[in-house]
Amino acid sequence: MTTTLGDLTSFARELRDAGLGVTPDQIAHMGQALTLVDPAHEPSVRAAFRSLTITDPGQIETFETVFDAFFHRVAEEDAPVYSPEYTQPKAVKPLFAPAEPAPVGDVDTRTGSSATERLAARDFADMDEDQLAEARRLVTTMFWRPPVTRTRRWIPDGGGQRPDMRRTLRRSVGPGGDLLPIEMRRRRVRQRPLIIIADISGSMERYAELFLVFAHAARQHLGSVEVFTFSTRLTRITDDLDRRDVKSALASVGGTVLDWSGGTKIGDALAAWNRQWSRRLARGGPVALVLSDGWDCGDPELLAREAGRLSRSVHRLIWLNPLAARQDYRPETRGMKAVLPHIDRLLPAASVDDLAGLVSLLDTMAMNSPS
Amino acid sequence: MRFLLRSGVSLGGVIPTRIEELAGALEARNYLAGDDLVVAIHLALQLGRPLFLEGEPGVGKTEVAKVLSDMTGEQLIRLQCYEGLDVGQALYEWDYARQMLEIRLVEARGGDVGSKDIMSRDFLVARPLLQAIEASRNGRRAVLLIDELDRADEEFEAFLLELLSDFQVTIPEIGTISADDPPIVIITSNRTREIHDALKRRCIYHWIDYPDRDTETAIVRRKVPGIDEALAGSLASAMARLRSMNLFKPPGVAETLDWAESLRLLDSGSLTPELIDRTLGVVLKYKDDIEAVREAGVEELVG
Repeated sequence: MTTTLGDLTSFARELRDAGLGVTPDQIAHMGQALTLVDPAHEPSVRAAFRSLTITDPGQIETFETVFDAFFHRVAEEDAPVYSPEYTQPKAVKPLFAPAEPAPVGDVDTRTGSSATERLAARDFADMDEDQLAEARRLVTTMFWRPPVTRTRRWIPDGGGQRPDMRRTLRRSVGPGGDLLPIEMRRRRVRQRPLIIIADISGSMERYAELFLVFAHAARQHLGSVEVFTFSTRLTRITDDLDRRDVKSALASVGGTVLDWSGGTKIGDALAAWNRQWSRRLARGGPVALVLSDGWDCGDPELLAREAGRLSRSVHRLIWLNPLAARQDYRPETRGMKAVLPHIDRLLPAASVDDLAGLVSLLDTMAMNSPS
Repeated sequence: MRFLLRSGVSLGGVIPTRIEELAGALEARNYLAGDDLVVAIHLALQLGRPLFLEGEPGVGKTEVAKVLSDMTGEQLIRLQCYEGLDVGQALYEWDYARQMLEIRLVEARGGDVGSKDIMSRDFLVARPLLQAIEASRNGRRAVLLIDELDRADEEFEAFLLELLSDFQVTIPEIGTISADDPPIVIITSNRTREIHDALKRRCIYHWIDYPDRDTETAIVRRKVPGIDEALAGSLASAMARLRSMNLFKPPGVAETLDWAESLRLLDSGSLTPELIDRTLGVVLKYKDDIEAVREAGVEELVG
């Protein structure tokens, strides 16, 4: 196996086409690597190039595909040239699924009516299309302030609790004087991440739509927000909600999520979250919001176990149930009974007022006080 | 680039220049690395780049640094990461008590204290990163382990990115302190969060997977002297089955070794379902996982 610099450049280009960014520096290193391992020994060259170009285990497969295609072709042809007819391997994940018809109608931007107040208290399920549009507008314009936590980093603060020795000493060597002014510092605060997991099964259809508008607003205003949906499978839609415009964001979600209005397996969804995402996203004491009415066709024992695991890996677990808005509501479904011991709060989520209440709860959530 | 040219002269000595020698040196120290990992380590050593190791907990990431330290005869300088890790903990800090004392002493003698007097190298406490820079001079290269980088926050990562590109620090009051040759840097991450791509691009990246059954058997036999060969083999098989069981926390090689050590202490010649049941807590650390395995039947792990 002989490799020229021209080969390396073409190889790098094919890696780039497949979604792996390769810098000129990395190409130079690949060239040097060929002097450090046996260039005729394919497994060594493969391992060397891989360790120099990938930055994530998820890229290994892509790398292997490109490597196989490229070097086997180079080995076959005598004059190694870049062939345009080479079919490019699939990128690890498509950036955006094709936009499908939006799951919600147009977001109406008409100014609020005098009936705003009455509308805010109304159950989403009882609204007509115009009222829904207005509700979406109200949700979009909610004012967000995230719950905060104290970090381990310090910032100067005259009213702080601890002396700042570094600054004190620096100031003390200025113009002389017997008094040593002590500079103070305190812990900095940062916002807690928010994790939103929304049930989009059949029984939740209308609430889920509005809630996703709410989640979009959260993602846009707070940044540190991760959003998932489930009915029979768990889907991460955070990237879709990064689109500025709520309409196109939700259209994008429509393309990503494959199980709209299916059955409900809450336990399986939480299990999937706990295994695939918990270790990566449950850092920094997040607040988790789960939206679901608790109508579950899965195993209640599994649900209880996974809800418990979720609640132990986050700072607060808040369960939002649209049915809880009803006066006579009792959490008596099997699903709700299973999760009840593990959640910090059970809140209604059936109207604009309910969502506004949630926002102000998050807003006032004190740093370390019980919820 | 700068480093490659310079290290080409001063390297050699204790760092194997040929990949076969490196493989032998690692094995001689009871580290059984896969071929791909050997290539990655070789590149990192020869190109003067940090080695970035990711993998599930307990697959031997930290061990690489220990073995390299042993191989080069250089002290292992370790920086354990945590949230809020800052320059004062990672790079350097002023020795405030000594500075205060110095001010008092000079003033008692009737002198004047200028910033130069108390802001010199003598009043600096070197933390791991500065220690590594200062120990990488005159043909020597320190072994620096930056452990569990995923525990540190993004701010520290940004700072590290800068440091790893040229291994020099500028301390406003003193000036620039730099390394002659890049230290041998091993960065590990358990992947509890994604490390920024820019940082990983400066490194040689390697994902350490769980070893295959034969390798794991060999590891057990080397690390737990006196263990029966058949027992080591059935342990490795049991581990492979456990890892395929969709557990919340699949056990790593570290757990295999703990298990092997426990069985040796219990003087067991073979792996029986009763024995597994009694010692499951050595391997699995979550109640749910232990229950899941018992439900599936511990006898599934034997044979």
